[in-house]
Amino acid sequence: MDRSIPVWVGAALALVVLMVLPLGWLAWLSVSGEHGTTLTHYRDVFTDPALRRALWNTVVLAFWVGLVSVAIGAPLAWLTARTDVPRPGLIRGLVLASFVTPPFLGAFAWVMLAGPNAGILNTFWRSATGAREPLLNIFTMPGLIFIVSIYTFPYVYIMVANTLALIASDLEEAAAILGAGRLAVARTVTLPMVLPALASGFILAVLQALALFGSPAILALPAGFHTVTTQIWSLFQFPPKVEQAAAFSIPLLLATALLLQVQKRLLGRRGYAAVGGKGGQRRTIPLGRWRWPALGACLAVMSCAIFLPYGVLAKAAFSRAWAQPLSRDNLTLGNVTFTFFDYGSTRAAIVNTLELGVMTACIGAAMVAVLSYVTNRKLVIGHQVVAFLALAPVVVPGVVLAVGLFIAYTRPPFVLYGTLWILFLAYLTKEMPVGYAQADATFRAIPADLEDAGRVLGAGRLRILREITAPLAKSGIIAAWCFIFIGVIRELSASILLFTPNTKVMSVVIFDLKEEGQFGAISVLGLVMLALTFATVALVQAALGRDVLGARR
Amino acid sequence: MPGVVLKALAKRYGDVGAVDGLSLEVKPGELLALLGPSGCGKTTTLRLVAGFLAPEAGEIWVGDRCLSSPASVVPPERRRMAMIFQSYALWPHMTVAQNVAYGLRFKPGLSRGDREARVREMLRVVQLAGYETRYPGELSGGQQQRVAVARALVVEPEILLLDEPLSNLDANLREEMRFEIRRLHETFGNTTLYVTHDQAEAMVISDRIAVLKAGKVAQTGTADDLYHRPRTRFVAEFIGRTNVVDGVAVARDTVAHLNVRLRVAAADLAPGSRVALSIRPHQVRLGAPGDAADGANSFRGSVRRAAFLGDSVDYEIAVADSDLVLRAAAAPTPRLPVGAAVGLTIEPAACVPLAESDLS
Repeated sequence: MDRSIPVWVGAALALVVLMVLPLGWLAWLSVSGEHGTTLTHYRDVFTDPALRRALWNTVVLAFWVGLVSVAIGAPLAWLTARTDVPRPGLIRGLVLASFVTPPFLGAFAWVMLAGPNAGILNTFWRSATGAREPLLNIFTMPGLIFIVSIYTFPYVYIMVANTLALIASDLEEAAAILGAGRLAVARTVTLPMVLPALASGFILAVLQALALFGSPAILALPAGFHTVTTQIWSLFQFPPKVEQAAAFSIPLLLATALLLQVQKRLLGRRGYAAVGGKGGQRRTIPLGRWRWPALGACLAVMSCAIFLPYGVLAKAAFSRAWAQPLSRDNLTLGNVTFTFFDYGSTRAAIVNTLELGVMTACIGAAMVAVLSYVTNRKLVIGHQVVAFLALAPVVVPGVVLAVGLFIAYTRPPFVLYGTLWILFLAYLTKEMPVGYAQADATFRAIPADLEDAGRVLGAGRLRILREITAPLAKSGIIAAWCFIFIGVIRELSASILLFTPNTKVMSVVIFDLKEEGQFGAISVLGLVMLALTFATVALVQAALGRDVLGARR
Repeated sequence: MPGVVLKALAKRYGDVGAVDGLSLEVKPGELLALLGPSGCGKTTTLRLVAGFLAPEAGEIWVGDRCLSSPASVVPPERRRMAMIFQSYALWPHMTVAQNVAYGLRFKPGLSRGDREARVREMLRVVQLAGYETRYPGELSGGQQQRVAVARALVVEPEILLLDEPLSNLDANLREEMRFEIRRLHETFGNTTLYVTHDQAEAMVISDRIAVLKAGKVAQTGTADDLYHRPRTRFVAEFIGRTNVVDGVAVARDTVAHLNVRLRVAAADLAPGSRVALSIRPHQVRLGAPGDAADGANSFRGSVRRAAFLGDSVDYEIAVADSDLVLRAAAAPTPRLPVGAAVGLTIEPAACVPLAESDLS
């Protein structure tokens, strides 16, 4: 018998427990009353006007974020993928930066930039024009939509850019030689072929907006409105109404699952890789005198997402009063010392974050490596189920997952609430799909022939894994490690429900500091988080030898 | 039906001259193959004709219209051409019928009914009737190829361009499609430029072949011309197999390779000059040692290697008292064993003198 089988079966079973326990409890608690099953929680939730408003706000937010993300992401993707816009590498780098920036940091930064009273841009506006009213108010629904969109459009960008990279210029030239002018080619060939990617990018953006907790908590709560995620969070505040939170989570879960199904359909239909064999070169479209204006437009978008927020974070981190001009008197390292030495929970939180990050990334990377190997080589019966479960958490918004975990691990057989382990499980579950997708792509690129060739020569499967597969898969698995690590250190939406005073993490501390109005300290911690993130991204790029957004140069 | 004239075309990629002073004429209604190894500039030439590239020098004329010159290039959509791509370039989001009908959208004065009728008729011609509502992804390679052909022909182009259209098909299908394309050419009679690197394909399909080397035309002619009267070593070796014998002219009609002397028919060689001769394997006749035909070149030799190919046997014959090894194609019977002594006979007309150097 093959001695490797227990490894495969063990990993698959661990995955089942990881996924089924929290979601099973979530579903069960949402329908359980004192006397057997009941739908009262659902009735309570959906008849409460406040909760219905939160639901509607979420719909509005998600829809507009989807639209705005398409409006930003699609043109940017076209410019960098198909035209001779200057500095495409810079633009891609900035899109990547926006992709990995924790949205709640962006939201904080924009509070400093466009808060109605002290916001720097508004102060500038008033002094420039003498107006009394602020130019921008970030504490509004449009403000929230704007903030979420500038960190969500990379999803659309990635989908569209990678699709455009697949469409051979042949297909457009074939139309041109038959008499179609430029516009006709774009309308009849290019656009229809990118449409599935556009729609699916739209859906991904909508999903992000649905699941997001940080930005709405920072911008919507002060503005006096709730979204579903902040509403679930507030149901958890004392006294916690766990059953109602569970019932309120289910629609979010279903909506996500449904949208992802639609997205899969869109991408599956007709398949849009060019049919037929060779050829398939892509030629760039000359923009002529629009080259530099196009770059300018890209940089304008990027200054909203990157330059302005990063700038204001850096300024606030090293100044006594962030709203005042940067002068010698205003410069200080006080925020740094305050953050690391005076403020109680910071150092413990950084240690917790790093510990959790490293632990989750190591165990997660090992798990996704084994699991994706199992599914790629079809090593156990039901390997399709394994693949499904590994990707299933995609449909579970962080807040919902946290509700499920809270319910599952505050009662026997596993009482983990109050320990770092519950956060670990949350992160492991939440980051599983990202890691799995990366590992899956890695093994897909290693033909089974390479292993079979070794086995024919007499090596056992575990030996082959060690000597042939592992060296080939190494860089891909390192990348999976990094993706999981980045996901963990920025995680807020599940942590905010699961932390206890002894188990705070960086994102939670930032959230606490915001309640206290400590913008300087927030900025210091934010910069630390960004530095960690970018260092990890650099590691991925080095491991993969290409950029993280997917398309080859 | 106009022809195409290319006048001293040049196009560089960086430092590499992909097309370098290429002149060519495609006669009205003719199917001309551009044949050459990869990198010889044949695809670049085709893309210049299609208007996807602008020449750096030279002109492209179709009938009395100058379509391309360094000063101005008529865009592809106004050239009244059609093109069949190596990848077929079928649009995966359109059905077979929509793909084929696409070019008709840009033809003024066609009613919807006209268009549908022409698409139906064209699909019948390429034997795809009944496939109208399929998507390209649901067709086999050969069927996709037929859709690409139909899409190009249905617009009745003045000029038809084909870029290695058969290179993605497997061997059997490729053979079948060669005859199919030839049949369609005879039916529709478009002026056609056909790019390929496969000499057999070029010989089956085309009226004339232009052999390209390093961005220039090495020789133009019918398949017969190129095979029997190659002008350069490159053409001789590229079209079919051949023996090239390097030697020195010792008389107006005789070339010597060491002590092997070959008489050449109807030649006017400068004695003392270096000459290369091309001798096709099937024109090296094998017989008993000592056989000599009147006026032919005769040698003794021995069989060094023999390979049975079914309808012929491929021999390598070492010519006695020389370092010369000639390949000979002979009938399967009688079979000559390795080591057997043979007599070789080569008609003077089979020895074709090649230009001293190739164009380069």
